[in-house]
Amino acid sequence: MIERYSGISPKGDLLLIMRLCEALKNRSFLHVNSTRAGGGVAEILQRMIPILKEVGINARWEVIEGDKRFFDITKKIHNALHGRTEEITKDMWDYHFEINKKNAERINLNADAVLIHDPQPVPLIEFRKAARWMWRCHIDVSNPQKDVFGYLRRYCERYEAAIFSVSKFTKAMPVSEFIIPPSIDPISEKNMELSNDEIKGTMDKFQIPADRPIILQVSRFDRFKDPIGVIKAYKNVRKYNDCILILAGSPATDDPEGEIILKEVKEYASDDPDIYILLLPPFSDRDINALQRGAAIVLQKSLKEGFGLTVSEAMWKGKPVIGGAVGGIPLQIIHGVTGFLVHSVEGAAFRIRQILNNPEMAKRMGERGREYVRNNFLITRQVRDYLSVWYSLENKGKSILEL
Amino acid sequence: MTIPFEFKQYTSILKSTGKRAKSLRELREGIAVVSKEAIFHHTYQYFLKAHILEYTNDFAQWAGESIEERALSERLSNIDPYAFKDIDDLRKVLLNVIDDYLKNFLEPRDAVSGNEFYFNEAVTFIFPAGIRVKNLAEFLMAIKYIDASSIYYHFYESRRRLGGIDDFSKWFENELGKKELSEKIRLIDPFMHSIEKIREHISELLESEVKNDMEAIK
Repeated sequence: MIERYSGISPKGDLLLIMRLCEALKNRSFLHVNSTRAGGGVAEILQRMIPILKEVGINARWEVIEGDKRFFDITKKIHNALHGRTEEITKDMWDYHFEINKKNAERINLNADAVLIHDPQPVPLIEFRKAARWMWRCHIDVSNPQKDVFGYLRRYCERYEAAIFSVSKFTKAMPVSEFIIPPSIDPISEKNMELSNDEIKGTMDKFQIPADRPIILQVSRFDRFKDPIGVIKAYKNVRKYNDCILILAGSPATDDPEGEIILKEVKEYASDDPDIYILLLPPFSDRDINALQRGAAIVLQKSLKEGFGLTVSEAMWKGKPVIGGAVGGIPLQIIHGVTGFLVHSVEGAAFRIRQILNNPEMAKRMGERGREYVRNNFLITRQVRDYLSVWYSLENKGKSILEL
Repeated sequence: MTIPFEFKQYTSILKSTGKRAKSLRELREGIAVVSKEAIFHHTYQYFLKAHILEYTNDFAQWAGESIEERALSERLSNIDPYAFKDIDDLRKVLLNVIDDYLKNFLEPRDAVSGNEFYFNEAVTFIFPAGIRVKNLAEFLMAIKYIDASSIYYHFYESRRRLGGIDDFSKWFENELGKKELSEKIRLIDPFMHSIEKIREHISELLESEVKNDMEAIK
């Protein structure tokens, strides 16, 4: 499988993966998160586990189970970590722990290295068996509600290492804190090359006309993704530029708020027949790929963001991207080079107009974006980094490792 | 017999020190206490990252871009890290430049929220790139396509290992007897180019050397 990335991913990443696998061969690597489908974490794990297995690591992926109450609580925790005010009572924290305890009884936690993703399963550390335990935080915790992160911190500090996507999310805890951006898989259904017929087929399926440029945002229906702001920007652009807006997203099993937001968005867009709101079922990767390839401009106008992988997805497809200057988006968009960073609805509208009126610039940005993603945000780089963290924990105290 | 040149690659993963600075005074406090690895990362390893050619280290870039103290950033950019045998000597010079600046400009502005300086260090992996060359023509092909991190390792990082020179010129001189070519390579200013430009310069010099060798009547 690793050969399939040859000629696509940077050779150095593939070489280092192979070297690290020689050192870690046949050892077990367990990943635990809270959803099998929906959202960037599940998506990366679906692709990464087979790659790890094929390079000789005994990789396994487990998903914790919980009821509606549990996921309501974890959604509140998620929101509070993003900086929104939420009340998490002692009862709720106890329930969070209890559900994790039940999962610890159900899941085999024995492995040489364990990577726990996000806050939902973070209490599993209490049931740690001897191994390297790492906590991977995918969300923007740069400005969290203090008491909520404070509570979680007692769990985080028991891990051997924590991994954040961006420097400014790190927390000065007494554990090793690594900075590893997430990634996309260039050969997955979501990112592979598609024929023009296939792109047209998807557009026809959703009855989207091909006669005008398409502005697209792919994201969960979540306030932090600012879907209403996207519609406002689009309405501003329409004064001089005829175009179509598509808002496409999949529901996630761990996000009870999604339906409410979707209803609000539909109501707000109801007076404009050129706005297409697509609620795609899970595993609609090929359709999302086609929508991104069919778009003239891709937006990720988030107000808060862990990383915003849809930015790299669109850049990989050679599209100019306009993103909110939050979370990991500025790491992907080099302002004015691979796309534009914006801070407001007006800013988004201005940049859409600028790109629509400069096709040469759009093409140049797209080409540079693809190369930037190739060097920095492909899944092989992330596999390399996770194995590197594990290997460096095995060689503590050394800052230079020769392989 | 010529010892072949074996290209190595260089990859780092970032590690947070937990320290950050939102003002010049906090940056100074941080530089004074962070690990040698952190100073190394923000100065020597600056050239490994996509960067703005106006600066030569992360401290200068932050001073210029985030708190807009351009005069300070110019002075910090003028520091050559390869002039120091020990990282603590480099640290002292960085601190002296900032202290001197603070004497004349008492109240530099703070960085806006989100633009603070984050002190990181790196865990570095060095491994063979799987490319080995025996002569100048092979070297020319390799340098054109080798990963940028290999050029970093052999052109920048080597200066610390070899006391100010790069691996390439050392090999040209010692193994191929190309003293003149080595001197030309050593004249390339490492601070004024991106890695891609360094690749271009070396390729041009080699191209002309290979051409001359082919035309020479022996």
